Amino acid sequence: MKIERPGKGIYDEVFDETHQVRPASRALERWLLESDDQLIADKRREADVLFQRLGITFNVYGDSDGADRLIPFDLIPRIISASDWHRLQAGLRQRVQALNRFLHDIYHDYDIVRAGIISAEQVFANDQYQPGMQNLKLPRNLYCHIAGIDLIRHSDGDFYVLEDNLRCPSGVSYMLENRRMMMRLFPHLFAKMPVLPVDQYPVLLGETLRAASLKPDPTVVVLTPGRFNSAYFEHAFLARQMGVELVEGADLFVVNNTVYMKTTAGPQQVDVIYRRVDDGFLDPLAGNPDSMLGVPGLYAAYRTGQVVLANAMGTGVADDKSIYPYVPDMIRFYLGEEPLLKNVPTWQCRKKDDLGYVLDNLDKLVVKEAQGAGGYGMLIGPKASREEIARFRTLLRDHPEDYIAQPTLSLSTCPTLVEEGVAPRHLDLRPFVLSGKKIQIVPGGLTRVALRKGSLVVNSSQGGGTKDTWVLESDSVED
Amino acid sequence: MLSRAASSLFWMARYLERAESLARLLDVSLTMALIDVPEDREEQLSVPLLVTGTVDAFYQQHDTITPQHLIDFLLFDESHNSSVFSMFRNARDNALHVRGNLSADVWESINTAWIEIRELRREGVYENSASSVFDWTRERSHTFRGAAYGTMLRTDAFHFLRLGTFVERADATARVLNIRHRLAAEAMAHPTARSFFEWTALLHSLAAFEAYQNLYGHNLEPLNAAELLVLNADIPRSLHACLQEIAGLLDQIDGDHGRRSKRMASSLYANLRFGDREYIAETGLHEYLEDFLGRIQRIAEQIQTDYMGW
Repeated sequence: MKIERPGKGIYDEVFDETHQVRPASRALERWLLESDDQLIADKRREADVLFQRLGITFNVYGDSDGADRLIPFDLIPRIISASDWHRLQAGLRQRVQALNRFLHDIYHDYDIVRAGIISAEQVFANDQYQPGMQNLKLPRNLYCHIAGIDLIRHSDGDFYVLEDNLRCPSGVSYMLENRRMMMRLFPHLFAKMPVLPVDQYPVLLGETLRAASLKPDPTVVVLTPGRFNSAYFEHAFLARQMGVELVEGADLFVVNNTVYMKTTAGPQQVDVIYRRVDDGFLDPLAGNPDSMLGVPGLYAAYRTGQVVLANAMGTGVADDKSIYPYVPDMIRFYLGEEPLLKNVPTWQCRKKDDLGYVLDNLDKLVVKEAQGAGGYGMLIGPKASREEIARFRTLLRDHPEDYIAQPTLSLSTCPTLVEEGVAPRHLDLRPFVLSGKKIQIVPGGLTRVALRKGSLVVNSSQGGGTKDTWVLESDSVED
Repeated sequence: MLSRAASSLFWMARYLERAESLARLLDVSLTMALIDVPEDREEQLSVPLLVTGTVDAFYQQHDTITPQHLIDFLLFDESHNSSVFSMFRNARDNALHVRGNLSADVWESINTAWIEIRELRREGVYENSASSVFDWTRERSHTFRGAAYGTMLRTDAFHFLRLGTFVERADATARVLNIRHRLAAEAMAHPTARSFFEWTALLHSLAAFEAYQNLYGHNLEPLNAAELLVLNADIPRSLHACLQEIAGLLDQIDGDHGRRSKRMASSLYANLRFGDREYIAETGLHEYLEDFLGRIQRIAEQIQTDYMGW
């Protein structure tokens, strides 16, 4: 197959600026050149059929006849060299450690606020701040047992953290299923390249969740909002892989601040809940009273320490876009270290000077809601129409505190199968960081790719696809 | 295990077993309708409606009973729960609820069936191509059972799944035997060439034709068929074989919750294990089966009360 070369001023994962193949990608490039279009087309179809049959699909509401939607899977893997990964890993470890320290601090001693690094208002008036978590002692002081950190690679070749996901980060099942698919479709490629395995993730997740309780052999469950949730497949997948029950709210009940599940042999006590339900829906008595997803009395039980939630309640305050600019300061403050991973420069529109700059440069910046997710409600200045820019100007003037702005970053590209053949498309990376007795990171993550030419939006809800992510064991790849 | 999960596994397996039974039943009825004299054709075609209890529902949608109407109604009509299509849909819905408890192979077998049946439905099925869909249904059911038997851990998830299979099968065998045996006995009362087909229809409906020939040769004696399908533990669809499985499975389930279910199942199992054809003859097969259907229904309800009734 022919491979279209990357554009200027953009970092490409396979080709350097002189269009030479980077050492880690040599075997991959050779494979692509040797594979004929027909073979690739066949494999692609095979992958679609397999994903459909495995049911690795997005849920579509109330549609009994239409086929479930697949997240497009790209057959060309994204490669990360051993040295890049080592740097990433150290940076992720450091960052998640600091975020956990921050969460413990803002629910206990408020040192960072007292030190004047973050204003009290930004912490305590944040929607995601849970006053009920104050002074609650959590095992090992852990709040984010599972974190998903979104990274991009800028034109300078460095990784930047775009966003921390500390509530219920999803996508890890795609990391695992994409790998399984690649091994099934192209086993010989794994013989040519030293790809580090990711299959151990469910075992490590199980370890992490058990370590979240101080009991010797705790009972762990996965709590799902149910089969209509778009990530239901992942909830079921992880429960099965860990060998624990997948429960819905109605399967649990609370008596005397102890949580039980309804089993065929009677009530069984539950010690750790890996919950994939948002804070507000966990307990109708404490959060949304209309929620059918939660368990009445769960919050009170949690407050007594009878049950552990992973992640903890109230972690959302730390992954909020308005807190994000302070993460490098957190690392310096709690760990006394210089941050290893870069943050994207961020203007906080709540600050007068920042707002002024943003309003003057709307055509160059990306403006995001401080609490938005999924790529909705954002302005990409250089691509926006005049009307859109005018609309955001009004929004920013009326509610500056709801917005942040960042420079438009040039996400790196990677050769991707598209209609016209193989062409560069932009991508990001979400590795998953597990914090238990120690911090563990599976070498890999979820690589999302914007399939439309030039597009920078990788979200699956907006037409993004995924790739398998190959972290190599060593940099010296044989030719 | 979770009560809700146990319930979903139980019903998932019941729906798939029910789909297989219905496919066999339809297959035989449509074949017999071709053989029958026109005046008996209606009776033949009505058998699947009688067994599934859908006579009234059918005539609300169709004025007359023809092979094509029967196919439309019992194969693909999703407006009621007694069509093969609805059964696969319900099986998959239940499977989705318990995906965490299913092996990948079992889930795939059910999900693939669902993808395929939607395709078959889109293409449409006509009288002369219907038998390939019946074959497909049987094969899908076999694949599911094989995947379950070959890949699932022997935990309670497996036990509840298998319970669903055998409760449904016992119920189906009794219903089919009840109706088909009457037709066969009537036909045998005035033997004609057609009587033989009526006879084989009974055995084919329950996948017992070859077994009958092995055991009884060509001796067409209605009570033999009853003995075979009620009392013979070696016939996989016999009531005896089903109750043997049910009693054994209940015994293996963890915990102390199912005393009533176990007692009821063991008692019914003992009746079959130590039963004899003379008793069936004295009672009358019809009465015997009516009694059995009541009891298996109560056992199914008790299982749900004991284990799933939160």
